[in-house]
Amino acid sequence: MSRTITPFPAPRLHLLARIAAAILGGYGFTWGFIAAGASLMFAAGMGFHDAEFLASLLGVLAFVAVFLWTFAARRLWVVGAVLAGGGALLAATGSFVQSLLV
Amino acid sequence: MQSFRQAMAWLHTWFGLVLGFVLMAAFFFGALSVFDREIDRWAIPSTRFEPQPMPSYERILRPAFERMQPLPATVDAMRPRVNGAMPDRFDTVVSWSAYTTHRDPVLQLFAGYEVPNAKDPEEAIWADATIDPRDGTPLPNDRLKVGSGFFYPMHYGLTLDWKNLGIWIVGFSALIMLVALVTGVVMHRKIFREFFTFRPGKGGLRSVLDLHNLTGVVALPFHFFFAFTGLLIFAATYYFPLGHTQLHDLHDLHAEVEARETGLPHQRAGIPAGLANVDAMVAEAQRRWRANDKAGDVGFLVLQHVGDANGYVSVYRAGTDRIALVGDGIHFKASTGELIREDPTPTATGRVAEFLTGLHLQHFRHWLLRGMYVLGGLLGAVCIATGFLFFVEKRKRQHARQGQQGARVVDALAVTTVTGMVLAALGILVANRLLPEDLPARGDWERYAFWGTWALALLHAAWRSAPVARGLTNPAWREQCVAIAVLAPMAAVLNWITTGDHLLRTVGEGYWPVAGVDLALLAGGVVAALTVRALNRRAVAHPLSSMAAAETRHA
Repeated sequence: MSRTITPFPAPRLHLLARIAAAILGGYGFTWGFIAAGASLMFAAGMGFHDAEFLASLLGVLAFVAVFLWTFAARRLWVVGAVLAGGGALLAATGSFVQSLLV
Repeated sequence: MQSFRQAMAWLHTWFGLVLGFVLMAAFFFGALSVFDREIDRWAIPSTRFEPQPMPSYERILRPAFERMQPLPATVDAMRPRVNGAMPDRFDTVVSWSAYTTHRDPVLQLFAGYEVPNAKDPEEAIWADATIDPRDGTPLPNDRLKVGSGFFYPMHYGLTLDWKNLGIWIVGFSALIMLVALVTGVVMHRKIFREFFTFRPGKGGLRSVLDLHNLTGVVALPFHFFFAFTGLLIFAATYYFPLGHTQLHDLHDLHAEVEARETGLPHQRAGIPAGLANVDAMVAEAQRRWRANDKAGDVGFLVLQHVGDANGYVSVYRAGTDRIALVGDGIHFKASTGELIREDPTPTATGRVAEFLTGLHLQHFRHWLLRGMYVLGGLLGAVCIATGFLFFVEKRKRQHARQGQQGARVVDALAVTTVTGMVLAALGILVANRLLPEDLPARGDWERYAFWGTWALALLHAAWRSAPVARGLTNPAWREQCVAIAVLAPMAAVLNWITTGDHLLRTVGEGYWPVAGVDLALLAGGVVAALTVRALNRRAVAHPLSSMAAAETRHA
């Protein structure tokens, strides 16, 4: 069970990109996740604060998951595409659902 | 698969190291905050009396509220956000409220007033006050509540208020705590065995790693839930404030519907109206709680739009007898005292939210469970501290051979965040007892004592760190333990000298808030003294062992 902590198996610039993707990409993705989740649950009849809470609860867990995935994934560009594209799509969904309701 | 495991180990090591310093503060001051009200009693001797229930509005609260006006400094701060001059007195009440818990002898009052010509008409100006609820005597409000007013905000925001920077740093650290827990489990497949593995005699590195794993695994649910619920408590307000930003319109839509459904007016009507007997409303609320099998005390009393026809009175229950943070609010029309509404039974999601926030904020009365919270927090601190030690021990000989300074720097920072943080906490308590009672801005001096002690601890740790660069131990560890062993009992003795409340008296009278803080100080001093002895013994037993090991490997 002894562990050897070797340097991260990647050059420095690549590592910085991963860290940035995990923190900023992860945050953006989570924001979109909560926006889409809260608005959809609200649309489904849940109270705003209930929807917001439940979406945040799942969103924080999603943040942890995508944070780990950013470091575990073999190809960083896939991660970047999913976090940025997915996050934007989710956030747009939130605004779209809102525009239908208000 | 090997590279996956390596990536997880890398994450655990480096993010854990960098954010570990913040997490130490969150865990340690969180553990202290479990007894924040008790630390307040210790620090403000004039408030050392038994907790009181919410007093009568008619006899105690009304005269106290009527006296309340915003401080001149608050008025000045508001000036730029108002068109024209500020009035001499504020009379249009937005809300008057009083808050207490089952551990508060003193009562906190808050008063918000409308500001004529405010640029944002929704913005109120606030005043707060502290009174003795037995007779309404105003208590000095500028004394620093070291527990609830300093250690507690330190726990969630490092007291870095600028743009809520501290809250963001602590929040990111909580996220990294969750990441570190997952990656830690990934790194150690034989997690069950680590429940039972501690080999104190096995030599430095092995024992440190055992203790790191043990404290991490045994309290894993605690660590997970506290980092997680801590994030959730602030998520909607600070970290992901969708309701004020992207989903603002949806939130407004909801607020409108809610105001219609609840019948609680958001605005004044502009028609003057009287106030019926508030004590009768409180009694009626308590009768309704009893009828619902939830007999209890009032925790929070709010009077909205006082003096207006739209005025209403909300009575909330103190969450003394359950983990879930419930309100069970009951609302009355202020002018007549008739019932407007009883908060409905929460939805399933609402109950989860109440349970998770209540779990973290612990308003309940259960001293054993509170004790377990402190233990959980301290186990978290031990887990992080042993993580630092493992990081240093694993590298320092190699760094010594290669002439690198990394282990030395990390070790000095570890001294600062482990023993130095305890010293800072003791520094503020000692200053609290030594500073003259009537010193102007006394609370600021207490804060300076805290930061000053901590800065000295950092300088000391850095100054004494040279041996680490040769693969040896930093003597600052031992020396700061000596300082703790001296300062901790000294704080308890100073409490005796300045207030006359020595342990025989407080324990004899069963006054546990102060007796408990004193006993904790003495216990901390004893632990520090035992640590000094153990470190001395090790230094005598193997004066050059680490050096010898380094030499052997070198050869």
